[in-house]
Amino acid sequence: MPKHSFKGGVHPLHDQHEGKTSTSGLPIREYIPDSVDIPMSMSIGAPAAPCVKVGDHVKLGQKIADATGFVSLPVHASVSGEVTAIGTKVLLLGGPTTIITIKNDFQDEWTELEPLGSVEECDPTRIVPAVQAAGICGMGGATFPTHVKLTVGEGKYCDTIILNGAECETHVTCDHRLMVEESERIVDGLRAAMRALGVKRGVIGIEDNKPDAIAAMQRAAEGREGVEVMSLFTKYPQGSEKQLIYSVTGREVPSKKLPLDAHVIVINVGTAKAIADAVIEGKPLISRVTTVKGCVKEPANLRLRMGTIIADAIGECGGYTEDAGKIVMGGCMTGLCAPNDQVVAMKGTNGILVFNEKDARSYEENPCIRCGRCVEACPIGLNPYLMKHLCDKGDLKGAEANNVMECIVCGSCSYVCPAKRWLTASFKNTKDAIMREARRAKK
Amino acid sequence: MSKSNKPKLSSVFLNGIITENPTFRLVLGTCPTIATTTSVINAVGMGAAASFVLIGSNFVISLLRNFIPDKVRIPCFIVVICTFVTIVQLLLQAYVPSLYASLGMFIPLIVVNCIILARAEAFASKNGPLASAVDGLGMGLGFTMAITIIACVRELLGTGCIAGVNILGSGYEPMLISTMAPGGFMVFGLTLGAANIIMKSIEKKKKAKEAA
Amino acid sequence: MSLHVSSAPHVHDKDTTQSIMRDVLIAMLPTTVMGVYCFGFNAALLCVLGVAAAVLAEYGYQKITHQKVRISDLSAAVTGLLVALNLPGNAPWWMPVVGSFIAIVLVKQLFGGIGDNFMNPALTARGIMLASWPVRMTAWYLPTFCKGVDAVSSATVLGGYKASTLDMFLGFIPGTIGEVSKVAILIGFAYLLIRKVISWRIPVVFVGTFAVLAAIFRMDQDVLTSVLSGGLLFGAVFMATDYTTSPMTEVGQYIYAFGCGLILAVIRKWGSYTEGVTYAILIMNVVTPLIDKFVKIRVYGQEKAKKEVKANV
Repeated sequence: MPKHSFKGGVHPLHDQHEGKTSTSGLPIREYIPDSVDIPMSMSIGAPAAPCVKVGDHVKLGQKIADATGFVSLPVHASVSGEVTAIGTKVLLLGGPTTIITIKNDFQDEWTELEPLGSVEECDPTRIVPAVQAAGICGMGGATFPTHVKLTVGEGKYCDTIILNGAECETHVTCDHRLMVEESERIVDGLRAAMRALGVKRGVIGIEDNKPDAIAAMQRAAEGREGVEVMSLFTKYPQGSEKQLIYSVTGREVPSKKLPLDAHVIVINVGTAKAIADAVIEGKPLISRVTTVKGCVKEPANLRLRMGTIIADAIGECGGYTEDAGKIVMGGCMTGLCAPNDQVVAMKGTNGILVFNEKDARSYEENPCIRCGRCVEACPIGLNPYLMKHLCDKGDLKGAEANNVMECIVCGSCSYVCPAKRWLTASFKNTKDAIMREARRAKK
Repeated sequence: MSKSNKPKLSSVFLNGIITENPTFRLVLGTCPTIATTTSVINAVGMGAAASFVLIGSNFVISLLRNFIPDKVRIPCFIVVICTFVTIVQLLLQAYVPSLYASLGMFIPLIVVNCIILARAEAFASKNGPLASAVDGLGMGLGFTMAITIIACVRELLGTGCIAGVNILGSGYEPMLISTMAPGGFMVFGLTLGAANIIMKSIEKKKKAKEAA
Repeated sequence: MSLHVSSAPHVHDKDTTQSIMRDVLIAMLPTTVMGVYCFGFNAALLCVLGVAAAVLAEYGYQKITHQKVRISDLSAAVTGLLVALNLPGNAPWWMPVVGSFIAIVLVKQLFGGIGDNFMNPALTARGIMLASWPVRMTAWYLPTFCKGVDAVSSATVLGGYKASTLDMFLGFIPGTIGEVSKVAILIGFAYLLIRKVISWRIPVVFVGTFAVLAAIFRMDQDVLTSVLSGGLLFGAVFMATDYTTSPMTEVGQYIYAFGCGLILAVIRKWGSYTEGVTYAILIMNVVTPLIDKFVKIRVYGQEKAKKEVKANV
């Protein structure tokens, strides 16, 4: 096993540099839309409650919805202008979500901000509340509220904070560009998190297929207390929390526990940058970098305002080159399919991939030939072929006994399967079914 | 113990041959099925001997059914069955010594053939002597028929003959495994499967007719 | 605008069942060519008939039982070729046909088709044919060109035929069509390794175990001759590595291959039969589900965590 790696995993699109070459060299471009549809639920947890009315004029960064609990985040205006509607829209998952539509007046006038000052000198106890107020959640895709992650409970401790710059997903290059262009801010964010928790060691893990990002981060980390940059072996899913922790520290997160039980907190590099912005400038999270590519005329790394309709973002990239067959929000391995191009960019949207009609067709499922490739590919050490057999039978108990709940839904098994069996999809459904069952039993 | 409602004799008879065929549906008595189906002559001989024992033991056990205490019924059944098996053995030895020689051990082993004990337990101990005898006849014929079919296939593949008559000509190279034990299992499995397919399709048609 | 919606992942490895089977066919090409070179036109005929019969049997069975016809995945072709390569070069034309029929219908399709057979179809067919027509299946001939045009009957190396190591490497010895040329088999093995169709584990451990045991047991032949004679290499590379009937896990594959080597050594040393590769592999095929049941992989984060986490706050 190479250094800083983990067991299992796959190398999707390895002969095409993970599909990243077309955008990995393109600088981040700002895109400001005419209007935004800001969803109230952009992160895991309870949706926020709107605190503006139709017709109100809002400034950039002004809070437009309040958090409704501890695991919930406030929402801020991502453009300045007039609130034109408060309605609902069907986004990626589940039922309709409340959205606030703001028409942009292009004044870009910031609301009053409360910066804490330099990350090395500010009051460390004020950092986590500032992160919460800025509405920051995990920007790698999981969208878990960051202030919850940074709250170390009774009897627990953290000795290492890992910044996740692995970006193992295919095609997506937003974190890569961010590390090249905003390396100082990312290190600031890491230092802020370390100071807030009194942690002495901060590691920035980057896959070795991004040498320019590694160099930039090394330059930025020079002279910063306790910060080191670690080059990781390029393999999917290197950027998965559990695998990253193993690659960097050699520790394993105990089954059904959180990374904190391995005394580690993992934060995405984009999140770290948002933390730095919140601390140094007092700015809430209103934009993020998203890679737009595939069947678009000019692929780009766009800085998108929250709530940008993706049709607008694709238009900014020159529009479609051919009839779109599928739009994936995220990367090829874990991205979710958009039902149409009216869905919006959110805090976890790291990529928008447009597939043409030919590539969009789904594969026909063939019988398992028991080749064992899924067993070899599974980074957790599961038996996907057996789990799939049980899931197909509807045997939830059997699937659970064979550790289906440990599955991280990374897609490695489905990727390697020569019979093109829908392994990952089946596990995801089964996990949901088991959790529904457990909730019902509790009631 | 005895049932008041008398079963129809014709249905009892057909039951043993088709719907509850001991070999294909109940999968009873597989040991003689594998062992004695190497040739058609052996199979018919085995079938006849087993049928004789079945009819006789069913009849006698049915007559005695109200006198046998429940706790010792199995030894009692076995004693009755043994009697008939001994009769068969002596008869074969006296009149068809060649068949006796080729069946050898499997004649005395009829005692433990589970078809006979199963019918004694499941039918003869609950029904009248006439019905029991007819059940024995049906079951015996069903068993004979089934093992004869299996024997036809095995003998044909294994020697090119059926009942010693050459069918496939002198150019045929016999598939020796067919007359060996593994071939017995294979042919038994395949005929069992085929019989089930046929019976299922018949049942389906019957149901379709009833529905119409 | 109508968009496809599907579950992740949206990218797949380019290997398919068909491409894997195609690679196996390509890997068997050198040994087939050498077999045909050694045993002449009849060997070529047997190979063609074996493949054709296997594909037809699969097509026919799937048509009759109203299943989706899957002959395009080439697995039937692989089975058919394996059946033919397991025959002596001078076998009659009907043997590959009957063998392929047994392999495809009896062993593969009746148990549920591809991926559900519990024994290697081609090898089971060989076992059944060996029991059915023992004279035909062990009528070994020297390769035709070795002793002029007419075929000369001979014992195999295991049966006492003396051959130079070079002849055994190249394949100029009596034996089945596929097993004689070790060089060709090794080329096929290298191709399968390069294409990552199989791993080195099963063939190497199988042959290695046997070689060590052959040395310990003091076989009639020296170790090198034992390894190069009979169907050991052919079986280890093309038969024992069959996906469906070999274990899924790394540890399981070691156990399986060790078992194959052990049983083979025992049969060759003490069995009345000179060749035992067929039975060694078939027995371990049947054991495979047990191995898969009992060899457990450690699941990330379960049981004891790998390294004791020490605080360095």
